[in-house]
Amino acid sequence: MVNVDSLIDLDKAVQSKKIFWDQEVYDQEMENIFARSWLFLTHESQIPEPGDFFTTFMGEDPIIVARQQDGSIKAFINSCTHRGNQVCHADSGNTRSFVCSYHGWAFGLDGSLAGVPLEAEVYYNQLDKDSMSLREVAQVDSYRGFVFGCFDTETPPLAEWLGEMAWYMDSWANTGGGAELIGTPMKTILKCNWKVPTENFIGDGYHITWTHIAALQIIGGPLGEAFGSGELPPLEDMGAQITTRHGHGFGVIWDVGHAIHRNPQNYVEFQQQTLPEVIEKQGEWGGKMYTGHWNASLFPNCSFLYGTNTFKIWHPKGPHEIEVWTWSLVQKNMSPELKREIQKEAIMSFGTAGTLESDDGENMETCTRTNRGFQTRKGSMNASMGLGVEGRHPELPGVVGSNFIGETSYRGFYRFWDEMMRAASWDDIKKNDATWVDRWLGEGAVSKLPSSQAA
Amino acid sequence: MSELGKLATLELGYQVEQFYYREARFMNQRQHRQWLESMVHEDIHYWLPITENRMLNDKRPEPTPEDGAIYNDNYGDLDDRIKRLETGLVWMEDPPSRIRHLISNVEVYHTDQEQQLSVYSNFHVYRNRRQRDETNLIGGREDVLVRDGDGFKILKRKINLDMRVVLDKNLYFFI
Repeated sequence: MVNVDSLIDLDKAVQSKKIFWDQEVYDQEMENIFARSWLFLTHESQIPEPGDFFTTFMGEDPIIVARQQDGSIKAFINSCTHRGNQVCHADSGNTRSFVCSYHGWAFGLDGSLAGVPLEAEVYYNQLDKDSMSLREVAQVDSYRGFVFGCFDTETPPLAEWLGEMAWYMDSWANTGGGAELIGTPMKTILKCNWKVPTENFIGDGYHITWTHIAALQIIGGPLGEAFGSGELPPLEDMGAQITTRHGHGFGVIWDVGHAIHRNPQNYVEFQQQTLPEVIEKQGEWGGKMYTGHWNASLFPNCSFLYGTNTFKIWHPKGPHEIEVWTWSLVQKNMSPELKREIQKEAIMSFGTAGTLESDDGENMETCTRTNRGFQTRKGSMNASMGLGVEGRHPELPGVVGSNFIGETSYRGFYRFWDEMMRAASWDDIKKNDATWVDRWLGEGAVSKLPSSQAA
Repeated sequence: MSELGKLATLELGYQVEQFYYREARFMNQRQHRQWLESMVHEDIHYWLPITENRMLNDKRPEPTPEDGAIYNDNYGDLDDRIKRLETGLVWMEDPPSRIRHLISNVEVYHTDQEQQLSVYSNFHVYRNRRQRDETNLIGGREDVLVRDGDGFKILKRKINLDMRVVLDKNLYFFI
């Protein structure tokens, strides 16, 4: 067992560098975090018809997600119950069965073992086929079309797992016909720990002005003008950071949702047309979220940029490597032309050859690789920006940081990471549900984000 | 690509090969602006589609330029990418990475448009970054070249990268 006590200091907001390097930390993460969390699988828009399937990973486990004949969605481990061979090698498709390439065992769309060659002759009809279905993922559910799976039956339902984050996501995921992911995902590799991009997306407003300065100068627009020159707009009314019970969080910059698009007129027009719908459902704050730009992560390894229309999952491949899968995030009621326009811009910035994507990879790799050094990884990392000026907000769910540039959602991510790494059972976690903010920040911690910003 | 026309003569084939070698040299020497302005047609479609692993019996159509693609660039998009590199503020390229293009299997055909050639070629791009970070990317290109004075300009380029998971951290360079 890893000595978790030595890894995260919540009061000082520092993390041991070992969390990006040590195999034993990684092994414990697979057991304590990936085996017990809801993990993103796909979006319903990617598998609309019965028989449609998509192959992915949960942690390092290979998974088939399949739309059933009755319209429901099931997920299975992509490994034959005979000798373990992978039964589906396509990224996606439509099928009635998955036939293993080793001995020809055939599994139905529902994972049941339907056919075994020479069953009577070589098994003498003694094979208990009913017990040899593909192993099913214990819980599969969708929120606003985003499909998640969880191996643990004790994990709370998906809506509860997303919790306060769902209210924020609703501002765009429940507007304009709802959200969808379009296209075939791009896939790349990064030789970094899976938490490096997750923490970057969850709360790093700080790096934008420096890491991405070249791209922002070329893109222009509100962020280009502000950040490209190295000067910031007034910080006190720039935006906010949010973190929630189960570690999900985001940073939002007000009013510049479209900022990474070079020609955003049509997108802005769509937002303005649909804005009253959000305000009606979720008030002025909902509208404020809807027109902002978000960098966000869903615990543990799924991230997105709302506004830049980019949706990613970071699949861990050992402690020092990930696969990055990237889709474009749009709203269903957008015209096909607008969806294409947005997709092109999203890929231009955060796709495989993206103008901002390529700025980040190098940093993420070396943040990991430096810890190869024995002395280096005895050190710690710091995420204390904005400590002490965050807490509950009278009008917003979760814990709210007082500014867009802060590390509230970093801290919130590692707070829950620490909790899951320690917890022996879900009962241990659930008993903190009512008191997590007070236990973390002390009683009565209040955000300094002015309520007047919603107006 | 449309139906193949007549194979180019030895001399024309040689000219196209030399055009590609010069292009590779511009890219390897980071002379992106010179490449864009002297070798790229203003109506270029520079395209690197996303390829998916599908079963042979999968009836879905191949990707088109209407689909999302890693590169789906016009001249202005390429110009933006090069402008970014020219800012001097791209930290990942400072110190600069090394890149080498090897071009082979050049097949040059006439088309029904007198001024246009249809050309296939293969590439091997070697990238070496920082101390010991290296990647090898191999694939093919399908070009339409337009005659331009004594030389050519690239009107269309489709890049077929021979990998599903791009075994590199990004593809922010030209092929």
